[in-house]
Amino acid sequence: MNYFVIGYYALLIGASCLAAYYSVRSAFLLLFSLTLVSFIVGIVGGESALWTITICAGILALCIGTAYAFREFLVIVLWGEGSKAIKTAPLTATFGLFVIMTYAIAGIFAPIIAPYGEAEVIAGAFAPADENMLLGADQLGRDLFSRLVFGARNTVGIALLATTFAFVLGALAGLIAATLGGFFDNLMSRVVDVIMSVPSLIFALLLLSIMGTNAFVLIFIIAIIYAPRVFRLTRAVAGNVVVMDYIEAARLRGEGLWYLIRREILPNSTAPLIAEFGLEFCFVFLLVAGLSFLGLGIQPPTADWGSMVRENATLISFGEITPLFPAGAIALLTVAVNFVVDWMLFRSSGLKG
Amino acid sequence: MADTKKDLLLKIRDLRIEGYSDEKWLEIVHGIDLTLHKGEVMGLIGESGAGKSTIGLAAMGFARDGCRISGGSIEFDGMELTTTSESDRRALRGSRIAYVAQSAAASFNPAHKIIDQHTEAPIHYRIRKRLEAQEDAMELYERLRLPNPQEIGFRYPHQVSGGQLQRAMTAMAMACRPDLIIFDEPTTALDVTTQIEVLAAIRDIVEQFNTAAIYITHDLAVVAQMADTIKVLLKGNEVEEADTETMLSNPKEDYTKSLWAVRSFKREQKERPGGGAVPVVSVQNVDASYGDTPVLHDVSFDIYAGMTVAVVGESGSGKSTTARCITGLLPPSSGKIVMNGVEMPPGYKQRSKEQLRQAQMIYQMADTALNPKVRICDIIGRPAQFYMGLKGGALKSRVDELLDLIELEPSKYYSRYPTELSGGQKQRIGIARALAAEPNFIICDEVTSALDQLVAEGILKLLDRLQKELNLAYMFITHDLATVRSIADEVVVMKQGEVVDSGPKNEMFTPPHHPYTDLLLSSVPEMDPNWLTTVLEERGVDNIGEAATV
Amino acid sequence: MSDVLSIVLKRLGLGLITLLVISILIFFAVELLPGDIAQAVLGQGATEENLKALREQLGLNQPAIFRYLEWLGGAVQGDFGVSLISGRSVAETIGPRFAATLFLASYAAVIAVPIAILLGIIVALLRDSIFDRVANVLTLTSISSPEFFLGYVLILYLAVKNPWFPALANVNFQDIGTVELYYRTFLPALTMVLVVVAHMMRMTRASIINLLASPYIEMARLKGTPAWKVIVKHALPNAWAPIINVVALNLAYLITGVVLVEVVFVYPGIGQLLVDSVTKRDFPVVQACCLIFAATFILLNLAADVGAILTNPRLRHPK
Repeated sequence: MNYFVIGYYALLIGASCLAAYYSVRSAFLLLFSLTLVSFIVGIVGGESALWTITICAGILALCIGTAYAFREFLVIVLWGEGSKAIKTAPLTATFGLFVIMTYAIAGIFAPIIAPYGEAEVIAGAFAPADENMLLGADQLGRDLFSRLVFGARNTVGIALLATTFAFVLGALAGLIAATLGGFFDNLMSRVVDVIMSVPSLIFALLLLSIMGTNAFVLIFIIAIIYAPRVFRLTRAVAGNVVVMDYIEAARLRGEGLWYLIRREILPNSTAPLIAEFGLEFCFVFLLVAGLSFLGLGIQPPTADWGSMVRENATLISFGEITPLFPAGAIALLTVAVNFVVDWMLFRSSGLKG
Repeated sequence: MADTKKDLLLKIRDLRIEGYSDEKWLEIVHGIDLTLHKGEVMGLIGESGAGKSTIGLAAMGFARDGCRISGGSIEFDGMELTTTSESDRRALRGSRIAYVAQSAAASFNPAHKIIDQHTEAPIHYRIRKRLEAQEDAMELYERLRLPNPQEIGFRYPHQVSGGQLQRAMTAMAMACRPDLIIFDEPTTALDVTTQIEVLAAIRDIVEQFNTAAIYITHDLAVVAQMADTIKVLLKGNEVEEADTETMLSNPKEDYTKSLWAVRSFKREQKERPGGGAVPVVSVQNVDASYGDTPVLHDVSFDIYAGMTVAVVGESGSGKSTTARCITGLLPPSSGKIVMNGVEMPPGYKQRSKEQLRQAQMIYQMADTALNPKVRICDIIGRPAQFYMGLKGGALKSRVDELLDLIELEPSKYYSRYPTELSGGQKQRIGIARALAAEPNFIICDEVTSALDQLVAEGILKLLDRLQKELNLAYMFITHDLATVRSIADEVVVMKQGEVVDSGPKNEMFTPPHHPYTDLLLSSVPEMDPNWLTTVLEERGVDNIGEAATV
Repeated sequence: MSDVLSIVLKRLGLGLITLLVISILIFFAVELLPGDIAQAVLGQGATEENLKALREQLGLNQPAIFRYLEWLGGAVQGDFGVSLISGRSVAETIGPRFAATLFLASYAAVIAVPIAILLGIIVALLRDSIFDRVANVLTLTSISSPEFFLGYVLILYLAVKNPWFPALANVNFQDIGTVELYYRTFLPALTMVLVVVAHMMRMTRASIINLLASPYIEMARLKGTPAWKVIVKHALPNAWAPIINVVALNLAYLITGVVLVEVVFVYPGIGQLLVDSVTKRDFPVVQACCLIFAATFILLNLAADVGAILTNPRLRHPK
């Protein structure tokens, strides 16, 4: 027993009591269950485990603080509908927006932000962090931080491009199928069923083994694999709109396919489609990262988070957390996008009924 | 009925209920008082959103997810429901207060047999043993005049028809012989000919066991048959309460009067133009099917310029399908559609712009008939632009003209979105969109059935005025005979995809009728509280059970 | 019952056709190669004679349709031809590795399925409470993380900093006992459990909440049925279809996720083999692996559909 442990429990129990006294039910439940968990974890893992919990709680508090401040910032900066929507957004969503914004800035201004070049060798292999290198060097002596920043551009960029490609392809086919119905619809749905009955990673590996690995092939392959998923969703969303009487009225007026899609169906399916874009982006992003991790995605020396994890993986066995940074960067962005998508889905479902 | 010695059963005072929406609690029921004695039936009536169901459930001490009882008191037989524990409240449900839901098909658990769901409450409350409870269920089924009472309970819910299921649910509510039953729109989802049997069964059993009931509905004529007293609600507030006779003969509040006003709108019946006039639309021996299922057989009728033909029938009779055949959405498998003497191609895709322009449609649900993301000016302007090629200033003045025609102020509505309008206004926009094409024939598909009485009346008057001004022909699809009486010139009665009877309105409404027309006419509830009794006597009670199978 | 039987048979037939189409896809995808397999394997510098010899050996002189039928006929009997690199029979190479992968997947599934369904139901019952929100954030985080991130985090904390489990699971099945095997493969299994539990919890929660909103559940509550009985008697019999669906979909997900996890932990499974073969462009092995993965995937989806059909009361008790 030392002061830290005593202080730790005292703080938790004190806070629980305070919450109970002011009858803040949810806060009390959370704090007290944390106390109970701490007992178990503390006994099993000792003081270091408690430190981990403390650090995690600290990071969490920091995230919540950031999210809160960012929300207030957005409420002031934005106007009209946007401001109103943000005001009621959960903190997870604004945290997600904040992270996405940070990544976007890092990606766009990568050459300005990164202290060194993408492939610039500046130190020995696996050199530790010093005042020049925020996170140390990688297996070839390149600055890890710089490569992380460039990775934002490459990995996210490729995922974004592939998603957009898949989306244009899938959404267009889905809208046409929903509007036309009949033979085209049936044919497309069968084709999509077949493609979707192969797991995406496996399909990607098969195609990569045939076409070889480079960025263009990668984007093309991913678009082919994910377009069916987008098709299915768009088909479902547009299917709900197509049965509306105003579509029937437009059909009976003699309107053409393109008018129906552009003026009648699309404006009524944008909200779920945008949310779906976020969701698809997550899947694509994870697939790109996974393929790169397997050495089959973006090829060196281009900085890419997936391959960075693989290249530095040996450091893990020395207790270094360096390889976790690129992996964490991937996870963080996906989490952020998912948070935002979650909120958007909730909003669009809430507005409907 | 005014027995003063009745004991007090339910006393609700200043009931307030809040609903959760847009991240905050909003009051949806604003201080309702309600007093109910043993054996008394009270009708709660109001439009959708009046808070009827919420109040009905609150009488059981129950609030749906996203709702909460925020104030007032609910006293059931001396027990205060707002303060007792949840387990005490639960012990009342099913045993002393029972509930009959609107959709029996959805409210029976698909995984269990009907009788097992019936006996659940009596077994749980140890009122009866399983076998006894089953015996009792069969007896109740018999009293409710269900076919095969010994056997029907052992079926699964999806194996039984809607009307029978609704009666089985009433039997289930009776299983513990409760003091109070809440009927939440029990016949709304049923066809008129089925509704009458269910109404009769409910009324009989409530009388037999001297059960008190709260009967929730939006249909005045129905509540007049069922209730001793009627309470009228509007947006969570009480408008007035009185016993049924007084309420019907002498309502005090303007709102109630407006509800009660029997369709004042009547117009002269027009005769067909003689001398070889060509009908605007002529449906000739049309057969149609969805896939392999035939839905229409040998349907024929004519509609002449300036006249209104009402097509009536129950759901599934093929009245909307006929409209789909006329517009070409469902190409007929045989027979033809002739407009102004010209035979139309069967499918709408083969029809020319000019042919499509002639026939326009107005829909039942104005909500789904107008694209919520398009401004009013574009909704109305598009047909004018599409068919007449109007642009710029000409288009704008045409839209203004059309808005004037449907009695909406152009400057105010020109650039609004449909979501900013009321139900009646939306329906008017739907009419304007049809008029913009300058048609000579309009199909009106249940255009007034989603609207409140007064608003509906306004729409009917507007349609009539437009018909006179523009010499339009209407095909009026409806199941509401009151509407038929007020607007139709000729009537076509449909049943199971066939025309069973047709003729000028006055002939159709005076006996002798075709048997089905007679059944249909006599099944529509009337405002007279004695209507149900009279009809049942006329038919002879034994016929009731067969009404659905006629 | 005959009604259900015909629906199930129809579904099975559809699955079989899908598999056939997939096999065509897999076989002819390789035909899309610029040049042919021989050229792709030997590279630019290959002499004409070498190419000819290899073509002869692979039977490339015959028409593609013929080779496809031969390949399919072999595949049905478990014969996938010969590896281009090692020269060994593909079936022999894949066999033990497929068994290893199945072992790992079922190890993870046995832990994950009960936990996930139980937690999913609990969270659904406690919906909108603080626990539900915390669970929402945690599961969302878990499904958003790439498998290799979770894997390395587990290695760092459970193998390196606290040496409780071995970091690598390059086990040899013949040499070790059962207990040892479970111990050595614990970390890869745990990684998959974390991802799959999150997925399954969310799906279970959604379907249970959906179920609890149905009018017949409200009716049961209004009949005074106690809360536990509402769940056991009214919700559960209708919950089987969605739950079976959730389980099958996630088992299918395990099959894909296993590739990355095997690479992280150097586990000698079929996923690892597939990745190696893709790198070396060993087409017969790639084709065989893909076909096996696809077949498993289709089979599980089929199981989900059939399960849903069999537990549907409306279909079980026809009119």
